[in-house]
Amino acid sequence: MKNLLTPKNLFLKISLALAMLVAVMFVCSLIGTESISLKAVFDRTSSQAQINPDYEIFVHVRLPRIILACLVGAALACSGVVFQALLRNPLADPYILGISSGAGLGVIIAVISGLNWTLWGRSPIAVFAFAGALGTVWLVWFIGRLTGRSSVTGLLLAGVVVNAFFSALIMFLTSIAKSQQVHSTIFWLMGNMTEENFSVLWLGAGCILTGALALFYIAPQLNVLSFGAEDAGSMGINIGKVQLAAFAIAALITAVAVSLSGLIGFVGLIVPHAVRLIFGPDHRQLIPLSGIFGAIFLIVADTLARVVVAPAQLPVGVVTAIVGGPFFLILLVKYSRKIGWAGK
Amino acid sequence: MNIIEISNLSFGYSRADVLRGLSFEVEAGCFLAIAGPNGAGKSTLLNLLAGLLKPKSGSITIDKAPIESYSTKAFAGKVAVVRGEFVPIFEFSVSQTVLMARTIHFGPTGFETRADRQIADEALLSTDTAQFASRPLAQLSAGERQRVFIARALAQSTDILLLDEPTSFLDLKHQVGIYDLLKTAQRQKGKTIIVVTHDINLAAQYCDKALLLGADGNYQYGDTTDIFSTHKIEKLFAVKGFHGQVGREKFFLPLGKFAKDNLSNHNQTR
Repeated sequence: MKNLLTPKNLFLKISLALAMLVAVMFVCSLIGTESISLKAVFDRTSSQAQINPDYEIFVHVRLPRIILACLVGAALACSGVVFQALLRNPLADPYILGISSGAGLGVIIAVISGLNWTLWGRSPIAVFAFAGALGTVWLVWFIGRLTGRSSVTGLLLAGVVVNAFFSALIMFLTSIAKSQQVHSTIFWLMGNMTEENFSVLWLGAGCILTGALALFYIAPQLNVLSFGAEDAGSMGINIGKVQLAAFAIAALITAVAVSLSGLIGFVGLIVPHAVRLIFGPDHRQLIPLSGIFGAIFLIVADTLARVVVAPAQLPVGVVTAIVGGPFFLILLVKYSRKIGWAGK
Repeated sequence: MNIIEISNLSFGYSRADVLRGLSFEVEAGCFLAIAGPNGAGKSTLLNLLAGLLKPKSGSITIDKAPIESYSTKAFAGKVAVVRGEFVPIFEFSVSQTVLMARTIHFGPTGFETRADRQIADEALLSTDTAQFASRPLAQLSAGERQRVFIARALAQSTDILLLDEPTSFLDLKHQVGIYDLLKTAQRQKGKTIIVVTHDINLAAQYCDKALLLGADGNYQYGDTTDIFSTHKIEKLFAVKGFHGQVGREKFFLPLGKFAKDNLSNHNQTR
């Protein structure tokens, strides 16, 4: 038996990918509208009272944003992998079961009601986005369960309908909102990175890393589950438990990502695909590698968003969509031809 | 020794009962065919035996223990199932697929042990699938893929194998190939094998026992030679046909309205 994944082989691949991630983070932290030099950043010789501008930009502007892109990219890619396996649909993404519209609805409600408080340093927009995302996923899961246990089609249809319904509510609220409110909502819907403070980043990192590790732990079960619930059951997998765990964790890390940076599309769709095309479908390597490459992809995309129309900035969701859209279409044609599932 | 005991088993979907008062025992190491017209409940019975459906009344015991007393994991160590259809989603290779049968034995690392690999290797060899072990499933022919799924079931190391129409999409050579494979597993490893099939001629050749399920809820259970009698088959499937014997093998060939030989009133016996 050749070409099978071994722990040693996996460890090597993850280490190389992590090295790549660190290199990309390093390079991207030096790129920006203000040119900074590393030498100046760590220059401690100047007097304490004087502010070192290079240090300020590096630590308080560039670094938080790169860490944020890293976290969000990893969360979306990991959750994309899991939704594709759970729904047995290679074209699924983290938003397919209504997370996006639920979060969007939360945001526009927060904007319109004009709330003005903070919870653990988070604005009402982020809190409402998180609550909306999780609430919607719970609703979709609940409806999906009503249509029959382990029925994937019921879940997908419930997701589509809830998405459409909530989108209609968003349209309605948009139409009665003031133009300033509409603007800030749309900006959020396009996906947007800002310079977060470190306490928020650590909290997000804790949630997302724990989630990714938990998903890695159930990766062998996800492999079997991609053959369908009946087959997985006959092979001794506790389907209900694994599905619920995978679903809950993937939804949670997506909700965290969405509340940090809005709706960033395509990362959760194309990164899992690209990694699967290159490394194969085994979830034991697909989850960690997708996480790392998702982080790399979003860091690069956000760097582009920062510099392309400098000194203005693009929403990062625009960059990922412009890069991801065509790539996704190529994949769609390729997959449909190869597997032929679209014709069945 | 009876490995499976079914007593007074009934099951129905929303409208009417599909199975009514079914009772039979399967000896360990037996090769059993389940046949009957469409809608008679063959696949339902298989799903009941696989633990996917719960009986409305009556009981199924496996190794003297009621089927509902097994955990999912423990049951997967007793019964392996091969299903007819397969829709490829991701490009798993043959050896990856077969190894998945060992997932419940993986350690906390989530990786197979050397013993797991050896068991999977043996399953690949015994099903003649080792030659394309690294190819993706979607690139195999239907016959090759069916052998891979049998390999996966064998790698589960269970006493009982359940198969739902394992030969339905296969050509003649591959049909015989699958039955040869199953017979070998029965003889060499002492597996108890239950197939749901429409091919009563192959079943008559290979199986020791047969269960004929009628659409009206009646059933017949016994040795294959007794059960697959011309009279019973014509009555159960409501079709006339040739029947005969070549050497020691019996066969039945259904004849339709437009068959060239109009033999609806007299049967040829030689």
